[in-house]
Amino acid sequence: MNDPRVRKVLDAILVPLLAVLSGLVVMGILILFLKKPLFESYAILFSNGFGCKEYGNCIFITTLERATPLILTGLSAVVAFRSGMFSIGQEGQYLLGAAAAAWLGYAIHLPPVLHALVLMTGAILVGAAYGWIPGVLRVKLGVNELLATIMLNSIAALIVEYLVQFPMRADTSAVAHSPVIDTSAQLMSFLPGSKWGVGFVIAVLAVIGVYLYLWRTKSGYEQRMAGQSKRFALFGGIHSDQAAIRAMLISGALAGLAGAIEVMGVHRRIMTGFSVGLGFDGLTSAILGQVHPFGVFIVAILFSGLKLGAQLGLQLNLDIPRELGGTIIGFIILFVAAGKLYEENIARAREWSARKRGNPMKGESH
Amino acid sequence: MEGFFSVFTVELLNSGIRLATPILLAALGGALCNQAGVLNLALESKMLLGAFVGIVAAYYLGNSYAGLLVAMTAGGLLGLLFAFLYHKYKVDLVILAIAFNLIIVELTVFVMRAQFGNVGSWSDPSIERIPDIHIPVIQDIPFLGPLLSGYNIIVYFSWLVVLVMFVYLYRMRGGRHLRAVGENKSAAETVGINAILLQTLALVISGALAALGGAFLSIGHLKLFTRNMSNGRGWIAIAAAMFGVNHPVGVFLASLFFGFADAFSVRIQNVTDLPPNLVKLLPNVATLLVLILIALRSKIAFSMARRRFRAQLRAEEAAGPGD
Repeated sequence: MNDPRVRKVLDAILVPLLAVLSGLVVMGILILFLKKPLFESYAILFSNGFGCKEYGNCIFITTLERATPLILTGLSAVVAFRSGMFSIGQEGQYLLGAAAAAWLGYAIHLPPVLHALVLMTGAILVGAAYGWIPGVLRVKLGVNELLATIMLNSIAALIVEYLVQFPMRADTSAVAHSPVIDTSAQLMSFLPGSKWGVGFVIAVLAVIGVYLYLWRTKSGYEQRMAGQSKRFALFGGIHSDQAAIRAMLISGALAGLAGAIEVMGVHRRIMTGFSVGLGFDGLTSAILGQVHPFGVFIVAILFSGLKLGAQLGLQLNLDIPRELGGTIIGFIILFVAAGKLYEENIARAREWSARKRGNPMKGESH
Repeated sequence: MEGFFSVFTVELLNSGIRLATPILLAALGGALCNQAGVLNLALESKMLLGAFVGIVAAYYLGNSYAGLLVAMTAGGLLGLLFAFLYHKYKVDLVILAIAFNLIIVELTVFVMRAQFGNVGSWSDPSIERIPDIHIPVIQDIPFLGPLLSGYNIIVYFSWLVVLVMFVYLYRMRGGRHLRAVGENKSAAETVGINAILLQTLALVISGALAALGGAFLSIGHLKLFTRNMSNGRGWIAIAAAMFGVNHPVGVFLASLFFGFADAFSVRIQNVTDLPPNLVKLLPNVATLLVLILIALRSKIAFSMARRRFRAQLRAEEAAGPGD
């Protein structure tokens, strides 16, 4: 407890943890409003989000599969936020990356590993290019990046809908979708019958990569400094404008990669309604994960589990609308944002316990 | 080409004004908050809340006008909650807006499903649309008549708000205080202005206006509620407030611009065979271009101010050695 590093990690985890608990309390209130069994609901939510029915048949595997794109879009938001760009353009970059990957998957034919690499590269380039636009608009002209990325998201969504319904459409079925991508471009899964596979490994590598980049390299340091204080960065000879554009390129690339993995590993094609707000969920997992790659990794899995549990468990078993999952996530963000509320009480509790030990206010400073 | 030009009719202007109304109401609220120095990015969620609460209240109370009032109250209360969290707990307004966006998108569908059992959209035959008002003499004037008459009360109310807000902000003491708070909060506080009260007031009013804009969508324009009904209009309203330099009249013109872009894209779908997805791009692209324009404008204003300052310096230097 007294090791400052342990203390730092605990401090970082405490508020999100309390926020998640508060979110679960709100969930209980909503369930009581619906007059559904309270404890059974919690049990079903967790067993359907994080549990195993029997050996080798784990729903948790599906949670990990769903978490994969979320981890990457979350990382995308982390890179942008840490560099002082409040970009919420992950959704658009993700969609365009997915469309690029889907097109490369059926339009060209290459040997196995090479084809997959080409798809990912294509998606990364498209995502980065789409991230570059708001970056340059911000740096060169001072266009508000939050509003710009919101508009770019709607624009990307409409463009992808158009592409799927017209030029890329495979047949005249009710739900428009593109042709299936070549097997050479598909990502392997670890277990038969599941789609949890190589994509997850890539996401984990990306978590480590983003951490090393932001905290262990010179350009990463420059980006974080530019994000924290533009003036300080300038004083230290850092070109914060360049750092911001670089951040948007990386951020877009990560979101584009998320789209490619979703196409290559899960759907094998792109169809109407491809994005279910994944970009936005990535943003929220970045906020809840304390804008840190490791935090994003944990929170993305937690979110996917909550959504899956609400969808498969609560809706199917208890007839509770699955929107409960999203509502709870929204409340959790609200509670994280209102972190002061907890911090005051935590400080008071610490003071109280320190006084009890006859050791007032020791180590209260951060 | 004949099909293309047949788009420009009085009906286009008419529907442009209608479609501008929800944006105008939300944008006026946003402008008021900007003037008071509180960034209100949550217009989207307040609008969606208004759309949902408005139609549900209209259903249970059996009166659509009562629905409007309930929607405004709900939006105002959400604004009050924002003000409380912002002032008491120093919650970041951007994150607060994102959180409420998510909560309200999901919670409205949650309640819709739980209460009415519908998934995508909900309506009930007993709900009445807010009726259009035909102004006796004016409606008979050629061209101007159909342009000024035949809207429902929300449209006229939004015009009234433009006027009232102009008078309040630029002709009244309270409005001057509000602008002073937005200009420099601590300076305003030192001369005894209650900044927190004025900012709270701005957030409450803007919540009520945005919610009314939302209610316009659900019971004033159509007669149903659909998932995520506001569909980005709250964000466009923020751009409209910026485009109109937070001045009521400027905001009015900016909102009309977005309303016409919207109406134009709806019309053009009817007369051409362009893919609807591409035509729907129009309002979004227009907004993005406007954002770029706003940035350019402030950049030019900044460099002109700098040039004036330098010229002044030089003039002073030239005159300087004398004294």
